[in-house]
Amino acid sequence: MTDVDVTMDFYPQPAASEARPWAFPAPERATLASGLTVLRCHRPGQQVVAVEVCLSTPLDAEPEGLDGIAAIMVDALSEGTSEHTAEEFAAELERCGATLGSHADYLGGRLSLEVPVSRLPRAVGLLAEALRGPAFSDSEVERLVSNRLDRIPLENASPGRRAAKQLSHELFPESSRMSRPRQGTEETVKRIDAAGVRAFYQAHARPAAATAVVVGDLTGVDLDGVLAGTLGAWTGDTAGPLPAVTTSADDTGRVVIVDRPGSVQTQLLIGRTGPDRHDPVWPALVIGTYCLGGTLTSRLDRVLREEKGYTYGVRASQQVLQSPDLARAAGASLLAISGSVDTESTGPALGDLWAVLRTLAAGGLTGAERDVAVQNLVGVAPLRYETAASVAGTLADQVEQHLADDYQGELYARLAQTGTDAATAAVVAAFPENRLLTILVGDAAQIQAPVEALNIGPVTVVPG
Amino acid sequence: MPLSLHTVTVTLLNLIEGTCTPVGHTATERAGSGGLTATEHRLSNGLRLVLSEDHLTPVAAVCLWYDVGSRYEVPGRTGLAHLFEHLMFQGSAQVQGNGHFELVQGAGGSLNGTTSFESTNYFETMPTHQLELALWLEADRMGSLLTALDEESMENQRDVVKNERRQRYDNVPYGTAFERMIALAYPEGHPYHHTPIGSMADLDAATLADARAFFRTNYAPNNAVLAVVGDIDPEQTLAWVQKYFGSIPAHDGKVPARDGTLPDIIGAELRVEIREEVPAPALMEGYRMPADGTREADAADVALTILGSGMASRLHNRLVRRDRTAVSAGFGLMRLAGAPSLGWLEVKTSGGAQMADIEAAVNEELARLGADGPTAEEMERAQALLEREWLERLGTVASRADELCRYAVLFGDPQLAFTAVSRILSVTAPEVQAVAAARLRPDNRVVLEYEPLAADASSADSDSEQQEGAGR
Repeated sequence: MTDVDVTMDFYPQPAASEARPWAFPAPERATLASGLTVLRCHRPGQQVVAVEVCLSTPLDAEPEGLDGIAAIMVDALSEGTSEHTAEEFAAELERCGATLGSHADYLGGRLSLEVPVSRLPRAVGLLAEALRGPAFSDSEVERLVSNRLDRIPLENASPGRRAAKQLSHELFPESSRMSRPRQGTEETVKRIDAAGVRAFYQAHARPAAATAVVVGDLTGVDLDGVLAGTLGAWTGDTAGPLPAVTTSADDTGRVVIVDRPGSVQTQLLIGRTGPDRHDPVWPALVIGTYCLGGTLTSRLDRVLREEKGYTYGVRASQQVLQSPDLARAAGASLLAISGSVDTESTGPALGDLWAVLRTLAAGGLTGAERDVAVQNLVGVAPLRYETAASVAGTLADQVEQHLADDYQGELYARLAQTGTDAATAAVVAAFPENRLLTILVGDAAQIQAPVEALNIGPVTVVPG
Repeated sequence: MPLSLHTVTVTLLNLIEGTCTPVGHTATERAGSGGLTATEHRLSNGLRLVLSEDHLTPVAAVCLWYDVGSRYEVPGRTGLAHLFEHLMFQGSAQVQGNGHFELVQGAGGSLNGTTSFESTNYFETMPTHQLELALWLEADRMGSLLTALDEESMENQRDVVKNERRQRYDNVPYGTAFERMIALAYPEGHPYHHTPIGSMADLDAATLADARAFFRTNYAPNNAVLAVVGDIDPEQTLAWVQKYFGSIPAHDGKVPARDGTLPDIIGAELRVEIREEVPAPALMEGYRMPADGTREADAADVALTILGSGMASRLHNRLVRRDRTAVSAGFGLMRLAGAPSLGWLEVKTSGGAQMADIEAAVNEELARLGADGPTAEEMERAQALLEREWLERLGTVASRADELCRYAVLFGDPQLAFTAVSRILSVTAPEVQAVAAARLRPDNRVVLEYEPLAADASSADSDSEQQEGAGR
């Protein structure tokens, strides 16, 4: 311990010193003989390595009437292999101190492994085993199906999840996969069996259409050697990627109340669709959306939270749903405003929210708002990408969205070059006050009349 | 999914995309013990400072822990520590309104605050070149908050916190389970009997005078630990801390925390049956466990990991894989230093399963660990998972700063953060068996048994999703 003398009172706000350069890491790209693409990225000090495997199993590829089979398939990969039972496999993996997550989304399937680098070879061996020789036993697939059926009501009970399902249902035509839950409905999940899962795996999960992203401190790791006997030994045919699908969305201004009698809050989700990251407007949209609802000092929370106290926080966001190769079709993202407000304040909060949108459309963003947004969005990059997992996640997103490996780095440069007028134009076009679908999960008896009085579109009520 | 109860806190904000909660994945076995270092300093006003250098990334974390949490609250004023945490973001002498948030985010930083039973912490993670700003901001509110605190902020943040309570607890299925469990596990009058979020009635009752008194009592340099971690120049950092914090006067008005000790064993099972609008029956059990800072707490962590963490735990294998009576089964340790820790077991039932069968299976698995102890493979699995978990906490500058503060505030020695991994790895199978036998007993638990309201009582809807909800 050292003792330090006390000094003096108030000082002016200090200025920043000189910034140390930082750049989003550039991965090294290679293709193995099996056709598997590998992106690797050495991050000094990152001793827990992240491995992401992107599979070309978008939900559009699911057979008619079997919504949810992609999710069951990626989950089932780690529930028993040619070498290990499901219990043995899980125990082996956890003895490496590893976690393995799986996810199926509109853009594709994903396995996410994280493991201390000292046990990387053993864990990648298990990951490869799951991809090369999944057992897909009747018993394990039945268990996963039954577990999923049990989870559907649990998820629907969450106001946020329930709102998201209703939004997709209302926004997209029935023919579109995006209108239906990612993990299927009770009706479709019931139909899934081991034979179907095996067929889906054989049709779509193959190395030529897959990418493995490996990020971490690879000092002294013979990654090529590790991959050769593991992921590199995963073989399959080389059929090309799936046809691109485009979808329309009905953003007619309207309100749907999902009735939950007795709710103490109303969950709100206001949305429509917008462009994907290929669109040149994306950086302006990111800045504009941040200014609208990126943080508690953005326009929405400045009023709804910090002035009125209606909410713990309302956020505006954009999430890519479709992102085909630029040349092939148009992409799509979900543009959304979400949060929850106390039941009594539902009408006034929505009224204020629309007033914020109108004020923004009429007067635009200020230069100062734009500057703060850019400084935050660009400035937080070294914080955001401190871990291997965060870098691997973004690289894998780029792969799934058919973006160049240097996309994220370029995005930071483009954000810095985007002006106030462009950001205003993008966010105003993204959230036009008369083209927004509003989902409210709450007590219809209390909120319907006040919401109707706002004239933000016809109001319908559906059961909770 | 496994429970994540190792740190139960009440956060100020929703996550802001990718920036608000540190996500760490970076340490090694060697970094965990030998690679990281920290130096300790004390200003003459009593502020303790911990510095830890790491130049891999141009970022620096500032973390300030005040030794005050909900255990210091008095009857009728539950929730005050957390409400006060919100007020700390409402401006101080040189910072207008939401300036704290605006300045940090405008500098490319991220920030938040959390309140728990035992502490309140504030943190800013900054690009290196903006570190001084974060120190200036924290010093300004430590020294001058009351010059800016007014009724308007108080009324506004009271409403915000009430909506936080609704969003996180009251409008969520099973959302009040934690509060109910705590109230049973820590008896009436115990400083941990209530949770940091507080009750609606007490939030309504809190006054500006309460908030001012709370600040005057607890927010002093000699009741805080400041950690600065990352791409820092220690001498320069020390000089800045001295410059900005050094003149804030110490004071000694703090009331000591009430005694939280309790007998090792509750003595009888305490059980509550809850009929609520929940989607499925659920079983939640809380066990009184050894306090943090003891070897027994580390053994308990290993025991609960063997039983209920990950996809290969005994409870997951038994209930989810073999019996297929549960959707999920987890068991985790909420470590507490000033009172017994709490082991939290949670099972969501699968359609048609009988609660009695699930309880019998849980009892059997818990008793079996106490009777026979763990296998070598189970020890390896649990210690590998916990090693990783602890190393992750040291793996980002923000979470490392948080751990340094935790050990400094709760145990008086920040260096303990760096040796936590080796303590976990030194736990032996007999120690695991012993803590399981001693603690995981029916007479040492509280039980919440959730049953959904009868299907016909909730609603007459014929919608298919409602049917799914009721007719599992």
